[in-house]
Amino acid sequence: NNAKDAKSTLDKDDSRDIARQKTQEEILFHEETIDLGGDEFESEENETVSEDSNNFVDKLNEQMMESVIISDSPNNSEDDTGELGCLQEIVDQIEAKDNQKTQAEVDKEEFLSNESETEHEETPKDISEIGTDDQTSLKEESIQEAVKEEPKLGNNVPVETKPNNIGESKPEDQILSPSTTKPSSEAEPIPVCTIFSQANNASTQPQLFLPDGFEPQMVKSPSFSSIIETPVKSNPQVVQPSPSLSKFFGDPASTNTLASDFFDSFTTSNFISVSNPNANSSVPEQMSSLSNGGDGSSSNPTFPVQNGRPEAGGPPSSLEVTQSPKPFSQIQAVFAGSDDPFATALNMSELDRRNDAWIPSEETRNVLISVATQQYSTVFIDKENLTMPGLKFDNIQGDAVKDLMLRFLGEQAAVKRQVLNANSVEQSFVGLKQLISSKNWRAAVDLCGRLLTAHGQGYKKSGLPASHTTDSLQLWFVRLALLVKLNLFQNAEMEFEPFGNLDQPDLYYEYYPNVYPGRKGSMVPFSMRILHAELPQYLGNPQESLDRLHSMKIICAKILENLEQGLAEDGSMTNITQENRQASVQLWRSRLGRVMYSMANCLLMMKDYVLAVDAYHTVIKYYPQQEPQLLSGIGRIFLQIGDIKTAEKYFQDVEKATHKLDGLQSQIMVLMNRAFLHLGQNNFAEAHRFFTEILRIDSSNAVANNNAAVCLLYLGKLKDSLRQLEGMVQQDPKHYLHESVLFNLTTMYELESSRSMQKKQALLEAVAIKEGDSFNTQCLKLG
Amino acid sequence: LAVMRLTKPTLFTNIPVTCEERDLPGNLFNQLMKDDPSTVKGAEALMLGEMLTLPQNFGNIFLGETFSSYISVHNDSNQIVKDILVKADLQTSSQRLNLSASSAAVAELKPDCCIDDVIHHEVKEIGTHILVCAVSYTTQTGEKMYFRKFFKFQVLKPLDVKTKFYNAETDEVFLEAQIQNITTSPMFMEKVSLEPSMMYNVAELNTVDTAGESESTFGARAYLQPMDTRQYLYCLKPKQEFAEKAGVIKGVTVIGKLDIVWKTNLGERGRLQTSQLQRMAPGYGDVRLSLETIPDTVNLEEPFDITCKITNCSERTMDLVLEMCNTNSIHWCGVSGRQLGKLHPSSSLHLALTLLSSVQGLQSVSGLRLTDTFLKRTYEYDDIAQVCVVSSEVK
Repeated sequence: NNAKDAKSTLDKDDSRDIARQKTQEEILFHEETIDLGGDEFESEENETVSEDSNNFVDKLNEQMMESVIISDSPNNSEDDTGELGCLQEIVDQIEAKDNQKTQAEVDKEEFLSNESETEHEETPKDISEIGTDDQTSLKEESIQEAVKEEPKLGNNVPVETKPNNIGESKPEDQILSPSTTKPSSEAEPIPVCTIFSQANNASTQPQLFLPDGFEPQMVKSPSFSSIIETPVKSNPQVVQPSPSLSKFFGDPASTNTLASDFFDSFTTSNFISVSNPNANSSVPEQMSSLSNGGDGSSSNPTFPVQNGRPEAGGPPSSLEVTQSPKPFSQIQAVFAGSDDPFATALNMSELDRRNDAWIPSEETRNVLISVATQQYSTVFIDKENLTMPGLKFDNIQGDAVKDLMLRFLGEQAAVKRQVLNANSVEQSFVGLKQLISSKNWRAAVDLCGRLLTAHGQGYKKSGLPASHTTDSLQLWFVRLALLVKLNLFQNAEMEFEPFGNLDQPDLYYEYYPNVYPGRKGSMVPFSMRILHAELPQYLGNPQESLDRLHSMKIICAKILENLEQGLAEDGSMTNITQENRQASVQLWRSRLGRVMYSMANCLLMMKDYVLAVDAYHTVIKYYPQQEPQLLSGIGRIFLQIGDIKTAEKYFQDVEKATHKLDGLQSQIMVLMNRAFLHLGQNNFAEAHRFFTEILRIDSSNAVANNNAAVCLLYLGKLKDSLRQLEGMVQQDPKHYLHESVLFNLTTMYELESSRSMQKKQALLEAVAIKEGDSFNTQCLKLG
Repeated sequence: LAVMRLTKPTLFTNIPVTCEERDLPGNLFNQLMKDDPSTVKGAEALMLGEMLTLPQNFGNIFLGETFSSYISVHNDSNQIVKDILVKADLQTSSQRLNLSASSAAVAELKPDCCIDDVIHHEVKEIGTHILVCAVSYTTQTGEKMYFRKFFKFQVLKPLDVKTKFYNAETDEVFLEAQIQNITTSPMFMEKVSLEPSMMYNVAELNTVDTAGESESTFGARAYLQPMDTRQYLYCLKPKQEFAEKAGVIKGVTVIGKLDIVWKTNLGERGRLQTSQLQRMAPGYGDVRLSLETIPDTVNLEEPFDITCKITNCSERTMDLVLEMCNTNSIHWCGVSGRQLGKLHPSSSLHLALTLLSSVQGLQSVSGLRLTDTFLKRTYEYDDIAQVCVVSSEVK
């Protein structure tokens, strides 16, 4: 604070000038407001004119809105003579404005002026300010780190090649080793997959599936029966971009499985995680490498064998290719899964349909229909309508904790810091999960990037045609979700951008009738849509978030409506068993609830509290089991606004709601709310009592612990407060090394002593042991 | 010595990232959120957590709010110091206030111990404030030491209040007050009331009675967003004893003052009063003519009666003559140029008049002239009131 003042005194002359300018502006502004006031009331005035028998001048006077001087305080107000005219008022406003300006700057600094200035020295340096600047720039560096490692990447990765015939062997694998097969095998009838509407049905059916009589139901497992048939029949041009890719793309059985199996498919089949980078560099190149068996095959010896039949590695003119990547979509060739039990597939597709259902826009739907109807002639699609994602930056790996350790604790200490990175885990989904759960999200983002590179969607691949699979989209989802979790919103936005509104035709299964025969719906995970919708609000554009959420809400509602009317999710006429319908309704209701949740959160962020509260009320309808929590949340919103009375009302509702169910959880909730209420009434002592009460019931309650400590500080018991927080962190560092707790702790250290640095560094060491690379070091305030 | 302003703590918000069972990470993301101590258990997707975090910066302080601050004096040395006296003063542009709770010296302070003090002060002035903290102590060697630190902050104006008066025919005064939130945070208006001066009774017109329950005209929205303005309306009625004496409420009169209480984050409270609101009472000239009774609707070309009240607002006795001039539509019945006799200061007389209208529709009653024969001054009264004239068949 003082630092600011010192600066401002230096620049006093300048600021005076500015102030003078301001004055003029202000006067203008002020006059304007008066005028406005007059205008506003003119209409009313006109009405009253005739009623009044007073003379006109008086009326004119009345019209003016008079500015009123706010006296300093209730106690002082009597002294005001009230003679202060308009002019003075203007001055006041200027001052206020001016102050606001400087205040804004002052705000940036920390109030905690620990600078040890003595006597009349009024010019301390603001170390902390410089420090924070440093920190941010540091972060940026690590983000923008060069991409050069990319080529190396491929080499680092253990390339395990197994000469297995990908197309065919996969299903066989599953049969042979039951551990990798899907868990369910009940026979369930698969509904006929109609495309969107009955009318198209007739025309699409024969082409899509086995010509088995066109009876619009019960095609045999579409994934197996038709595949064998179709490629043979009319699609000799089967293109296999890269072995690893085909592995991913080619196996509908594995992609159809539950998430858990889905990992297995990667790990147990020894996929070639990162194939020859050259092979992936661009699609036309791939084509050529394919046709002449060039470098692509040399790096992956298994390649030529792959499809089990001599492929006409097809030179479909690369010209055509660039115009429309359609041929690439027909990547997958052969599925020898005919002997795989139908039942599994049938059940899977029931699940698939339920989960993947989505209603495309009119435009997209038309494209999809045309894909379905003219299956083998190339459908030309505008490049703009295609999703061509690629990594926008590579290697955000970096460990802020380690960097800080290097700076403050020296190299030796820093060496001890060991975290997993993208290289130290298996290059697979298992490794990815490992990174995520150990909170090494930066490394996980990198690993996602590598896996996506293997899918041909790596760095600089944005804008190039790409084929999408369930896996590639899941990988994108994970990557983007982690970026959001790391607060790297800009990066996430950049990489999200090629996906458009997630409604492009090539993001639907129908676009790839050969790869995913009969499968319908969107490849985009629902959670990715949520993420996509939520993202703009973190970038200062909540309105866009609301728009996206609204369109999601509409589709969810439509799907529910379809289900209620006895249709399938996408509105097609499909027989769904009661049981499945029930499950589907349940799923989509909870999804709709999730959308409402996001909306409520977004409104809360926009500080539109009235609507936010309404939205949370709606959420309660979808998640009745969360009612007490949500009501408490609404109560806290009112508390934040300052509306203590309404907050109290909500807290009482919570007590009523939890009255029936007794349990630790609800007991804590009630106590917590009471504590917050006291907080709102400025009664920190009582609040502390209630927080402590919670700790008696549940001594490991981090929130209560932290909040009790905060109360202690407000009661002037800094040492006690510190003891409580420190005790908590030591007791269970794994759990309590949370950003907010550490922030409070460092703030108190700063308040306590000018030697807070040592204690902060001690915290850094603790963090180094327990936390992954995703730790937000800002809360340590180590500049 | 360190000082921290104690604004209310804030609630930690987290960024929910969820996924579904079937997605690649399985329930990993959800599990991570469950493990995060800052989320609400059982409702992890709720953004607003329960974790309190200390204020991150000084923030803004506004007139009428309470400035609270933590003052911590910590002995960083390895020596015991004695007779520590901590003094916290607040210097404003006009005065210097002592804020320390206790002025007694602490006998001794061991190394690594601290003296804590939390000070509160209701801010009553706009502009620069400087918190001056002075610490004096004696070292082990008996040396007297003394140091000071300054903490400067600006107090801003939270509200912009504009008022406007309407004078009703019936001596009532309507006060319209626009209150604008010029802070950067939402503000919950706990109380906005008009404290009338001794001459008036006040009725608040900011609620609507529906089914016995009074409902705020502002609806469910009990708070003001930054830069939002709210308009309050009050009706002031002169008290009986003052209303009687016409002319007392004349010229500049004090109406009263607005008392505003608001709350922001977690019940941070602020209170302000405006200075006395003054209004220029409508000048009625020397003679005031007001209507006592008039029918709403009259028949075309049928005479009707009105009653006027004529008040002498001047300080002298008047001798009045009433003239009635017909207009296009209004025709007065009776003799024009009638003597009304002497009227003393502050006294009034009632006058029944008969007139008829020859035109349908809403007609304005005009054309009365009062002449003070002493001063030969004529007062004109047009547009006194309106009546609705309907054709007699309709009625």
